[in-house]
Amino acid sequence: MTTTERQTATGPDPAALGGRVRGFLGAIPTWVLWFFVIIWTIPTLGLFVNSFRTRDAQRNFGWWLFWQDGAHGYGGLTLQNYRDVLGSEATGGLANGLLNSAAIAIVATIIPIAIAAFAAYAFAWIDFKGRDWLFIATVALLAVPSQVALIPLLQMYAGGAHLTIPLIEKTVTVFPDLDLAGTIPAVWLTHTGFALPFAIFLLHNYISGLPGDVFESARIDGADHFTIFWRLVVPLSVPVLAAFTIFQFLWTWNDYLIALTMIGGNREALPATVVVASLAGEFGLREHLLTAGAFVITVVPMAVFFSLQRFFVRGITAGSVKG
Amino acid sequence: MKRFRIVLLVLVAFALVAAACSSSSDETTTTATESTEATTTTAAPATTTTAGGGETTTTEAMASLEGTTVTVFGPESSDEEAGAMQDALNVFADANGMTITYTGARDFSDQINAQAAGGNPPDIAIFPQPGKLADFAREGFILPLPDDVTATTVENWPEAFVSFGNVDGVQYGVPNKADIKSLVWYDTQAFDANGYAIPQSLDELWALSDQMVANGQTPWCVGIESGPATGWPFTDWVEDMTLRLQGADYYDQWVAGEIKFSDPAMIDIWQTIIDLWNKPGYVYAAGGSIASTPFGDNGQPLVDGDCMMHRQASFYSAFLPEGTPTGPGGIDVFYFPAGPDGTKPVLGGGTLAAAFDDRPEVWAVMNYYASPEYSTERQKAQQARKGGQLSGYLSANKNMDTSVFLPLEQTMIDIMLNAEVLRFDGSDLMPAAVGAGTFWTEGTSAVNGDETVEEAVANIDASWPSS
Amino acid sequence: MDRVIATVVGIIAAVGVSAIVFIGANKVFDLAPRRWSLFSSLIGGFSSLLLFSLLWGNRLIDQPVAATALALIVGAAAGYALSRTSDQSAHLVIGISGGVILGGLLGFFFTDAYLPAISPVTLVVSVAVGLAVGAALWASRGRKTSIIRPLLLWGSIGWLFGAWLIPTLGGGSRIEAVIAGAVLGAGIGAWVGTFPLPDHRMKQSIALGSRKYIFLIPALGFVLMTLVIPLIRTFWLGFLTGTPTQLTWTGMSNYVAIVTDPGIIDFSNWTDMFTSRLMWAGVLVLLIGFAVARISGKRLGQTVGLTGGSLSAIAAGVILVGFAVFAAVRGTISNNLWWIFAVTIFSTGMGLAIAVLSDRSKGESVAKSMIFMPMAISFVGASIIWRFMYIARPPQKTQTGVMNAVWIKLGQWSNSPTATAVIVAILILILVGILFIAWRGRKAHMPAITAGAVVVALPIVWLIYRFLGPGLGGFQVIEATGQTIGQPILFLQEAPFNNFWMMVVLIWIQTGFAMVILSAAIKAVPTELIEASRIDGASESQVFWRITIPQVSPTIGVVVTTLVVTVLKVFDIPKVMTNGNFGTQVLANEMWQRAFTELNFGLGSAIAIVLFLGVLPIMWLNIRRMQKERAAH
Repeated sequence: MTTTERQTATGPDPAALGGRVRGFLGAIPTWVLWFFVIIWTIPTLGLFVNSFRTRDAQRNFGWWLFWQDGAHGYGGLTLQNYRDVLGSEATGGLANGLLNSAAIAIVATIIPIAIAAFAAYAFAWIDFKGRDWLFIATVALLAVPSQVALIPLLQMYAGGAHLTIPLIEKTVTVFPDLDLAGTIPAVWLTHTGFALPFAIFLLHNYISGLPGDVFESARIDGADHFTIFWRLVVPLSVPVLAAFTIFQFLWTWNDYLIALTMIGGNREALPATVVVASLAGEFGLREHLLTAGAFVITVVPMAVFFSLQRFFVRGITAGSVKG
Repeated sequence: MKRFRIVLLVLVAFALVAAACSSSSDETTTTATESTEATTTTAAPATTTTAGGGETTTTEAMASLEGTTVTVFGPESSDEEAGAMQDALNVFADANGMTITYTGARDFSDQINAQAAGGNPPDIAIFPQPGKLADFAREGFILPLPDDVTATTVENWPEAFVSFGNVDGVQYGVPNKADIKSLVWYDTQAFDANGYAIPQSLDELWALSDQMVANGQTPWCVGIESGPATGWPFTDWVEDMTLRLQGADYYDQWVAGEIKFSDPAMIDIWQTIIDLWNKPGYVYAAGGSIASTPFGDNGQPLVDGDCMMHRQASFYSAFLPEGTPTGPGGIDVFYFPAGPDGTKPVLGGGTLAAAFDDRPEVWAVMNYYASPEYSTERQKAQQARKGGQLSGYLSANKNMDTSVFLPLEQTMIDIMLNAEVLRFDGSDLMPAAVGAGTFWTEGTSAVNGDETVEEAVANIDASWPSS
Repeated sequence: MDRVIATVVGIIAAVGVSAIVFIGANKVFDLAPRRWSLFSSLIGGFSSLLLFSLLWGNRLIDQPVAATALALIVGAAAGYALSRTSDQSAHLVIGISGGVILGGLLGFFFTDAYLPAISPVTLVVSVAVGLAVGAALWASRGRKTSIIRPLLLWGSIGWLFGAWLIPTLGGGSRIEAVIAGAVLGAGIGAWVGTFPLPDHRMKQSIALGSRKYIFLIPALGFVLMTLVIPLIRTFWLGFLTGTPTQLTWTGMSNYVAIVTDPGIIDFSNWTDMFTSRLMWAGVLVLLIGFAVARISGKRLGQTVGLTGGSLSAIAAGVILVGFAVFAAVRGTISNNLWWIFAVTIFSTGMGLAIAVLSDRSKGESVAKSMIFMPMAISFVGASIIWRFMYIARPPQKTQTGVMNAVWIKLGQWSNSPTATAVIVAILILILVGILFIAWRGRKAHMPAITAGAVVVALPIVWLIYRFLGPGLGGFQVIEATGQTIGQPILFLQEAPFNNFWMMVVLIWIQTGFAMVILSAAIKAVPTELIEASRIDGASESQVFWRITIPQVSPTIGVVVTTLVVTVLKVFDIPKVMTNGNFGTQVLANEMWQRAFTELNFGLGSAIAIVLFLGVLPIMWLNIRRMQKERAAH
């Protein structure tokens, strides 16, 4: 369907523009879109080409001249960067890192999305006193610069959280010392907490727009909240759940800081991002390896994106969403 | 329903209140603060002489280390460096039936702060900055060395390097790696072709620069860009020049904050460097300007002849283009020449190991770091990983086997071991707010011409922590 | 292979346990109306389990496994027994005996080191205080119910304080502990036993009313643990100074230090904004936008008609004027505002544009994937990619960065007469085409097309002017020789626009985010609505502005809010690219430097609080607005 075919007779007559002009205008969206796409792809393309070039070639000639590398005396295209990245053994090795990344990202995606969906449903469809304020307070936590929470959380994982009650001077353990610091569960807990305000915000925005009359009639038929949530809300929210799954997976997969802070020197548990970043070395000596490293890491989240993209299809919720 | 809610609330409240019965157990965080007293007297394992070969290992030591695990965390992270570190540690670990894991992270400096403050420190950390080590010692995060580890350190390392790990008279650090920064990299063939002689004094160096410009060559390659650490190559220049023009005492006082950056002599030094760099034709900046040139990008122009000299530390060898010949006949180094008074100060750098946990196996590894075997094994491993080229690792261990180093590396080691005056990189000794903060950033601003030298030094003085 | 298995097992365990806990909780409360006995014993057992686990976590009981298991059995038995009888006095007996056994168990298993040394005086006083509190509460609630229950509850709490919380621990005997526990249990048990008997209605309301807790507690618990408590701690730390182990109170001085920092805002060159070309271009575009709005307004019979053409022009004008202002007023705060302004507008705008365009183009999924790809790259990775893009090399060398290569190529073209002639000819052809479209649009009474064409034409006119006049691109004429050499731009060093070149990185990443969310929202706009308005004769742009935009506006709100928050928190891009040098400092990087690099928690926390408070109003307004819109539906 082109733009102009949708015009109807009662509007300003598009025919007045002339057929060729109309055709041209109709093609504009596609042209503009692909213009954006090309611009957007150039940096990645450059990275991709550079990932097959030697360090000295990258340094001396632009990537678009890659076919002259041999002539310039820097050796032709090579898989050496990929070999170095995949064969790396420092920081626990890349295979181990990818495994840890998967362990971190899968759990840190599924659990927050489930918890946030429950909460978003409760905020949207269960009536209770102070609901709006609680919702605002939860979402307002989006504004917390999460970096400030890293050290207190690490302290908690490392030694538990202990509260000294004033007046009676007794110390209470609020969170036991489970010796989580340096383990993957510490990363799960942290990611889950940090993700929730945004997840609740996003899901609530969607779930609260679902048609209330459907739920009402279900309730009259005797369905409880759990049934409604499971049988109606979840299927209707598939697009937004897919969208959030993609983001959360990307963020947790790409995360460097939280994982490194929570895991620290326990290299058996460090994710692939940390492994690849460390390849560059203390003074960035082998920064050229980051080109190949970035691609190796990006493969998985792109696969996730492709596999979930089919959920963004028109009509899956047509007629059921008020926005 | 309401009643039910109350029941639930009360049950939870009851549980919580009951939980409050705990008394104040002092198990808040597991930093190593408590055990400082005990450490010095702890019977350190009898592994002092065992490292590497293992022939003389006593059975008690074997028994005490068997099956233990030690974690080491440090800034060196690439496959060559971290891998060689691990290889060297494995030699010791295998001989004693223990496990030692080394983890390298690029942003070690920020991370070790988080780990220490968060109560999850490694057993041993490798500090690139003695200033940070001193901060950690004063915070009580790291532990003083037991006497026998101190003894091994003193026995094997030159006094200057030992002193870098000394905080307020107590030894905390064991040198792990030594860098020498007072070096000028140059192309011997270019020098020979033009008949240039190695300058023996600063005046000769400046005269040589002038002569090169007169011959239509660019004397210097300079680049101070280094991502989050942009500016540090400038601070190295300032430190080297201060040692030469004002002497070691002045340097020590300046590093300690007793002499301000706004001291006229210091301003002079800054101005001299910046004037030299800004003189048309004197500097080749591979990245368009000095502030935008990654310091590592200066190897290629040196090889290509775009510039004749590059003042940079010993580890710079790794940044030269693949396959560049080094040493006589290739790219070589000369000592950044002495100042007017003729003393030959050396600006050094390196890393120091310090322990967070008081366990016999930890001290055994620390002791191994101090031993000549570690330096030798590390060099062997790193050289193997570099395919026999310059390894990028240097040590100033007096008793190591220097034959495992290449001739150029041996030259550098000789400079370090024979230095009359050896000082650590000053910015690494200053408080982090300055040494890893304003000294870099304000220096960069001054080099880039965004600020005058006077403005820059005033800002640095203002940022010096008051306590 | 072992690692793989261990990892898979770990993943399944974590997800499985979470699912079982949640579904289990729901199933348990489903039991309330139908199988009250089972429900009651489960709740009884679970409460005891919870209590003993808490004590276990506090290391207060010996042989925790045995003690907890026993408590679980006793609690479950008591719950079952309570549910099997409908006699009020039997309830009381069961409650008390269950409580006594549980309390006795507690006392029996209590760790030696913490056994309380009970003093009768303390005990009497604190029980009396408890009873008084109970009576007072009862009175304040209007004395409608029996006084017995509040007295039982508060008397027990008083006993708890007197027996355990106030005395010194460690000095007492086992007997004392067992007695103290049994009495406490008797009190609480009696309180439980005096509950009125539940009827069917109450059972059902328990099942229903518990749901909000089950649905909310996991989220609120996590948020409390990972965000609220650290936030409170940060707030507290903001008033302290010193090193991590030696923090001392310093009042507001950290905040004073932030505000008085000369780098925070710099108005010294603010008048430059009036002489900048950006400002004038922006004002010009704005005027055109208003003019178009007025013209289309006339047609629609309104004062101003906000059509696509006028809105785009006004937006472009606002962007240009904004950039002129931010380029003249410098400092950390200005940089932060500039980041928010630019990244939010560009990412949302382009994300929306791409979502709309791809919705009606071929190759939608490929195009969207390409735009989305940067999202799959970390901030640090993206910064490295863009450093490759921005690399500058000396004029005599070939450029390795795309941006400078293009820039210098342009410079070469504009200095070569042949290239200039060719380019100007092409540009003039395009210009003629655009003007033709504008003219046809005018004739067809479609002002949006005319306006759009004019807006597109302006930069082309400017390009022609630059090529014919002063030239364009990176070049420099050496006066001595008359030679022209390329002059690269130092994208990351030349203030103030180096800030923008860093924002480009985030825009590049976040446009994909905006696109995905907005695309999902656009696809969710009911087709009937669009069809209906088409039948009513709306043009495509009218459908877009009147149907699509209002329908997705809550989602735009979500995107904008998220972007603002993301922008303010981004510290890795500035850190990796310039580390705040060359006038590019932002608050988040400043915070990171203070708190993590220098371990100056006081100042770092204060900056974090400033950041938090800075975003809060934006968030609040946004959420309120969204809630109002929802209420209006």
